[in-house]
Amino acid sequence: MDWPTSCLEVIQEEPLTVKNPKTWHHTHSYGGWGKFFQGLRESKLLATRCTNPACGEKRLFLPPRCDCVDCWHPTEWVEAPQVGTIYTHSTVTYPGELFKLPPGTPLISIEIEGVCTKLMSWLKEGKPEFGMKVKAVFNTKNPTNTILDLAWVPA
Amino acid sequence: MIKFGPGNLRIPRFERPVYLVAGGMTDFRKKYFEKNTSQLCTEALRMAVEENDLKVDAEEFRRMVNWCVYSQFADHFGDQLLAASKIHDYLGFDPLGNIEVKTGGATGGSSVLAAAQAVASGYASCVPIVGWERMDDVSTKVGNSYIASAACKDFESELGWMYAAYYALMAQRYQYENQVPHETLAKIACKNHEYAYYSPFSQNPGKYTVQDVLKNEIVSDPLTFLECCVMSVGSAVLIMCDEETAYKLSDTPIKLAAICGGTHTLRTADRRDMPILLLPNETEATYASFKGGRRREWPGFSSFLAARMAAYLAYNMAGIKDPVEDFDILETHDAFTISDIQTYEDIGLRPYGRGREFIESGECYFDGKLPTNLSGGLIGTMHAVGATGIFQIIEILWQMQGKYDKFHGNPEMWTRYGKKKPADWKSLQLKNPKRGCAISHAGTGSHVTCAILEKP
Repeated sequence: MDWPTSCLEVIQEEPLTVKNPKTWHHTHSYGGWGKFFQGLRESKLLATRCTNPACGEKRLFLPPRCDCVDCWHPTEWVEAPQVGTIYTHSTVTYPGELFKLPPGTPLISIEIEGVCTKLMSWLKEGKPEFGMKVKAVFNTKNPTNTILDLAWVPA
Repeated sequence: MIKFGPGNLRIPRFERPVYLVAGGMTDFRKKYFEKNTSQLCTEALRMAVEENDLKVDAEEFRRMVNWCVYSQFADHFGDQLLAASKIHDYLGFDPLGNIEVKTGGATGGSSVLAAAQAVASGYASCVPIVGWERMDDVSTKVGNSYIASAACKDFESELGWMYAAYYALMAQRYQYENQVPHETLAKIACKNHEYAYYSPFSQNPGKYTVQDVLKNEIVSDPLTFLECCVMSVGSAVLIMCDEETAYKLSDTPIKLAAICGGTHTLRTADRRDMPILLLPNETEATYASFKGGRRREWPGFSSFLAARMAAYLAYNMAGIKDPVEDFDILETHDAFTISDIQTYEDIGLRPYGRGREFIESGECYFDGKLPTNLSGGLIGTMHAVGATGIFQIIEILWQMQGKYDKFHGNPEMWTRYGKKKPADWKSLQLKNPKRGCAISHAGTGSHVTCAILEKP
């Protein structure tokens, strides 16, 4: 039998330190939330609402939930308004690996009427300000199939 | 959960008292290729057992152990699943039972909580709690993206691949609502970098001015590098016992009066408003004018419900009426300057909206009313995540046992880590601190524990 041919690259000898390469991918199913990401391709902002008439939470969830957090009943898909206001913002100068947005892109959290959550997203045009009115835009041409397919511009 | 039922706010209790007797740690470094993780954990355990004036030798101690708790944040770092098993074997504790705990940045605090549950219930009587993180096997950029995997990968991680950015969103909102001068935030950074300067264990010590911090490069606005925690390699070990074992081991055991945990949504986005949960030192009147009388507009992005929940349970469990009056020492999870101010409010040092007063009044300094992060904290000394919550409690334990100088002032401690004790070193040993508190914190507030130590 021959010795294996793939070898670990030595970074230093003292103490012996080697490079462990990683090259595989992970398969990730969005499961019930996939509908949200598919909706982005069609310029739809899909949220969920609890179907239990007795549930106290009548507002929409965005990010969506297939099951109600308050009563565990199934939820239904509802299109959320595509306008909102900026609740907070920050621009990251030193993002981590895997960051795909252009440098200097402002991150924002959005308040939308009738939605009980404050979706994290990004501002595609303009300078962010607290309370600024924004509208949703969608990456329909060449979708990344991530949350980055949704962005906002001044309304 | 935005409405509490009667069972949800039950105050926890220990069935029997829980004690801490000894602690040990390595120094903390950005890179620590000289030693593998098993070696680092052994070094910390050896310090705990052999350098804390225990009344038994290492061999005798080993025969007393009956359960172990292991504390590591991310298997991504170190690239070894079941690393706890490898370390448990290396430490010579097989075939005793063990458990590994994982709750993000609060893993250390949660590990102490898990060990306390074992001791308090009678399941165990002598438990080493072993924490570590080795964050030097990837670049800083990849490290940040690993850490950002502890945000929601479906809906939030992609927006920055950087935890500082998720905190910055909260920081900006807090600033918008409360207008804390950046100078005030910078003072926290200066304080913790300076306290780290007196610690041989520290990774990022320094005497900085407020101007240094303000002029420092921005990571994600408004946070500068000097206002953010370090990324570390190192280990910390704490020894927990029941009363009988504690006094067999030590003449100066310290009681763990309480340790409790709270949580909140991993996604900050999903935090719905609810009425403020009041601490023992607060009443409805405290918040009569909160946000113009809108007490229900909480926690928003400005407060950590998990920290409030943990403090609510722990204060009621330990009989704390007013934290600033009742505590003599505090360690907060100062991952970022602004989250530190937010925490001051969550744990009731000041009412919501007034956290800045705790630093501006000078109370949080060594010679103040409630010295905070004399260890140097996460900004100055370390954030080897799995070790962090344990490290904080060890620093309080040593203060209460009068051992600050022994571990920080001995020139040999400095040479052990290849450092020289600074000529202008000063002792941060407090005069007879009787009660202390440590806050361990994960995510943008996904898990928080609140531990209360007390002199018996």
